[in-house]
Amino acid sequence: MAELLQHLLNGLVLGGTYALLGIGLTLIFGLMNVVNFAHGEFYTLGAYVSFAALALAGIDFFAALVVAIVAGAALGWICEVLLLRPLRSESIDTTMLVMIGVWIAMQNAELLGWGGVAKSIPHPFPTAPLVLGPVAIAPLRLFVLVLAAALIAAAWLLTQKTKLGRAMRATFQDRDTAALMGVGIGRIHAATFAFGSGLAAAAGALLGPIFLVYPSMGDLASLKAFSVVILGGLGNLPGATLGGLLLGIAEELGAGYISSGYRDAVGFVIIILVLLLRPSGLFARQERIA
Amino acid sequence: MGKRSIVVLALVLVALAALAVPGESQAPIKIGVIEPLSGPVAASGNYVRMGAEIARDWLNAKGGIGGRKIDLLIEDNKSDPKEAASAAEKLIVRDKVPAIMGAWGSSMTLAAMPKLEEYGVPMVVETSSAASITKRGNPWIFRISPPSEMEALGLEQYVDKLGVKRVDFLAVNTDWGRGAITAFGDMLTKKGATVGAKEFMDQSATDMNAQITKIKATGGDTLFLTTAVEQITLVMKQAQEQRLGRKIVTTGGSSSPTQLIKQAGAAAEGSYHIVFFMPWFPESMPDGKLAKAFVDEWAKRGHPSEGLTEGFRGHDGIATIAEAIRVAGKDDPKAVREALWNVSLMGVNGPIKFDKDGPAGKESGQSRPSIFVVQIRDGKVALPDFLAKK
Amino acid sequence: MTRAGGWLLAAGALTLPLWLQSPYHLHVAIMAGIFGVLAMSLNLLLGYTGQLSLGHAAFFGIGAYTSALLTLKLDWSFWPALAVAVALAALAGFFIGRLALKLRGAYFVLVTISFAGVISLVSINWIELTNGPLGLPGVPAPALGPWSFRTKTAYYYLVLAACGLSYLVCRRLVMSRIGRALVALRENEPLAESVGVDVTHYLVLAAVVSAAMAGLGGSLYAHYTRFVSPEVFLFTYTVTMVIMVVAGGKGTLAGPVVGATLFTVLPEALRAAASWQWQMLAYGVLLVLLVFFLPRGIVPWLARVMAGSQAPAEPDSPTIRR
Repeated sequence: MAELLQHLLNGLVLGGTYALLGIGLTLIFGLMNVVNFAHGEFYTLGAYVSFAALALAGIDFFAALVVAIVAGAALGWICEVLLLRPLRSESIDTTMLVMIGVWIAMQNAELLGWGGVAKSIPHPFPTAPLVLGPVAIAPLRLFVLVLAAALIAAAWLLTQKTKLGRAMRATFQDRDTAALMGVGIGRIHAATFAFGSGLAAAAGALLGPIFLVYPSMGDLASLKAFSVVILGGLGNLPGATLGGLLLGIAEELGAGYISSGYRDAVGFVIIILVLLLRPSGLFARQERIA
Repeated sequence: MGKRSIVVLALVLVALAALAVPGESQAPIKIGVIEPLSGPVAASGNYVRMGAEIARDWLNAKGGIGGRKIDLLIEDNKSDPKEAASAAEKLIVRDKVPAIMGAWGSSMTLAAMPKLEEYGVPMVVETSSAASITKRGNPWIFRISPPSEMEALGLEQYVDKLGVKRVDFLAVNTDWGRGAITAFGDMLTKKGATVGAKEFMDQSATDMNAQITKIKATGGDTLFLTTAVEQITLVMKQAQEQRLGRKIVTTGGSSSPTQLIKQAGAAAEGSYHIVFFMPWFPESMPDGKLAKAFVDEWAKRGHPSEGLTEGFRGHDGIATIAEAIRVAGKDDPKAVREALWNVSLMGVNGPIKFDKDGPAGKESGQSRPSIFVVQIRDGKVALPDFLAKK
Repeated sequence: MTRAGGWLLAAGALTLPLWLQSPYHLHVAIMAGIFGVLAMSLNLLLGYTGQLSLGHAAFFGIGAYTSALLTLKLDWSFWPALAVAVALAALAGFFIGRLALKLRGAYFVLVTISFAGVISLVSINWIELTNGPLGLPGVPAPALGPWSFRTKTAYYYLVLAACGLSYLVCRRLVMSRIGRALVALRENEPLAESVGVDVTHYLVLAAVVSAAMAGLGGSLYAHYTRFVSPEVFLFTYTVTMVIMVVAGGKGTLAGPVVGATLFTVLPEALRAAASWQWQMLAYGVLLVLLVFFLPRGIVPWLARVMAGSQAPAEPDSPTIRR
């Protein structure tokens, strides 16, 4: 029983990290229809910026998080304006291909700049685990879970309750009408991409201290993010969150009770089954846009 | 012609130009190096490269081989067997190297091996641990790293002192991890220990909590861990979080205890590590002076000290090839292969000399590298407690 | 593409081993041919039905492993092993095609990724069958009676034949009624359905042929490199195929071949032109530039240039281009 509880707790924490990766991509992929293979690279960027800020510039943990988000959002904005805007009239495969190029370039630039050795991000939390009855959890992970929940809530509020959020949803629902209503389409596109990338960078800055920072850390993150986004319904923030949690728990239980070698296979099989039973994702019932 | 055409023209010209440049044959002696310099194990591949460069510079400072300078032709195999084979082909055909060192991972090495036989060029294997590499009957392979079985034998004498009775395994799901589980599992069973769980982790996995929870439930006393240093760090931290509380022994020599101390901190305390180089006490190595000189040169170049436990492989590989070329008297691949059977030199790890391994008539060369065990105690690397107490 | 140009190209390809002396260059040509087959197979799905399969490496890998295992473990000759490899890959394609009945767009993509992921993990973990991560070394070279295809020149012609066959199959498919139905599917599915196009039937057909072709590529790969390991299922292989198809020009017949050639030669050229630190970074930057300046791909751009018109791009028309 204790083992099962520990597995569930592990799965919850793991799922939280997947959810964090998914919410940024669900905006970019779900709303903007950009197959952003470079999403994992913004995640990596956030981790490296946080490392630079903490280990090299010596500023505190929370400030480093903010710096990472700003860096991710800024680079995202630049990417959108320079690369995606001119290609907006092209097919989805063309934008996908350009983001593949960005993915390769960014990852190898990081390798060149930082080297392949993994970096460890210092954090202010004690390493001794918190013991809650039969299960244990590290304070850092608990903090990350809480902050992830806060970020997800903040993102949801932004898209649902603010003028910017309404403008975003309008733009992606019907661009021409939105333009007629006075929405600055160009700015909205850039802002959405920046927002999604900023969230990815936040995930990197939060997960970096748990997992170590190295140039190829974004590859797995991208794959999980795509899985979570599609599972939860494109553009659906609560859906991505729940999809992330589901995936995390499924993987954890699969690794714990079936086989650790086939761990990721369990996740894939669950995805296939879910999509066969509910072809538009888990939460197709809800509105497609946020 | 618009600017689009210029881009296309540029691409085509790059492609043609590069292919059209003929391989040059000049005075320097060229040695090929194939390592994973990008991708998930880029750190390790680069450490080996750095060690190789130190060997090259030392040799050139002494005048090279027969008055000719050594030139290292370094190729990236991108952790992909297909690329390893392409790189080998390019080095052999275009650059006409007489010998190659590589290719780090066992599947990369296995993929390049047919090319060696096709063109008749020897390769010194500096890291790969799969037994099959020297058992396939490829007479162009000479390995200076230990296969997993040899590694397990190296630990055998300490098993009783370590007090291993019930052991669990956690290994990366590659040929290296699986080979280690088989080799160490057999050795430990022969010594009377019982094997509990055999868990795996994907090479790029970062969350091993499920496996640790399972291992915790077996009630064993020792965990054998085989993977690269980043995953070891994560496993140790997660094991600490779950209060696993048992002896940890890492195998494979890629554990970089220095890096573990920095990144895993207290979670690494008390753990044992099988390494093939002890840069913390170089005087204890078979050639203390050489080992110390290597450590000093590494530091002088500003390379991270975490890389020493892998970087020495690059040095020893190049030193072996250079010695063979010296003995052969010329940089011809077949002569170099003959000479490799006759070399006997001192590397950073210890003496290097090749025994026959594999099917009769087509043997590969396998050296007997020295194997060491260290422990992390009080936040520093030390000789294991069961040895120091003497 | 003029007739004369076509014949010239064919002549060049047929006599390649004569004027491309270095075995290394021949090696690059062989790899380009194998990837040409793979790119053409992906193009059938991506370019003509509009469905993106990001698990295409699965069909490639199934073909490679089947062919390798049959010749290694059961001592089969290359040709029947090739046939079974193609058939098994086609079966997998049928499976995916039937799944596609319910899914479109991103959902289809995710299922293909997941499928490839599962197959990849099976190849790593089912040691008894596949030898796991250690892979299958020593895959024999094909033989036809007394002649062995061991030499590069012989293998080049084998690959060239496979390329030609694939091209012809694609061309016949695309030019036929089936092809028109596929394009109708791509352009406007509900409309196509309303006109009586049996969507499911054609999607499955496209998936089966596409997978079979990828299986052919896999078998060719296995018997050339003579080593198969789970790395064939790596996502980078799929990404490379996607790059080749889209950059070459999806929805065209020549596009994938051009893309395969360019993106096989480019990394090798970068090996010679740049030191190892800059190779992959240069590759990424060049890719971005290429897409930026030629967003439809190389072949459509070449076609426009040769037609003499520099007019702004019209939207993708449903006509099949050469």
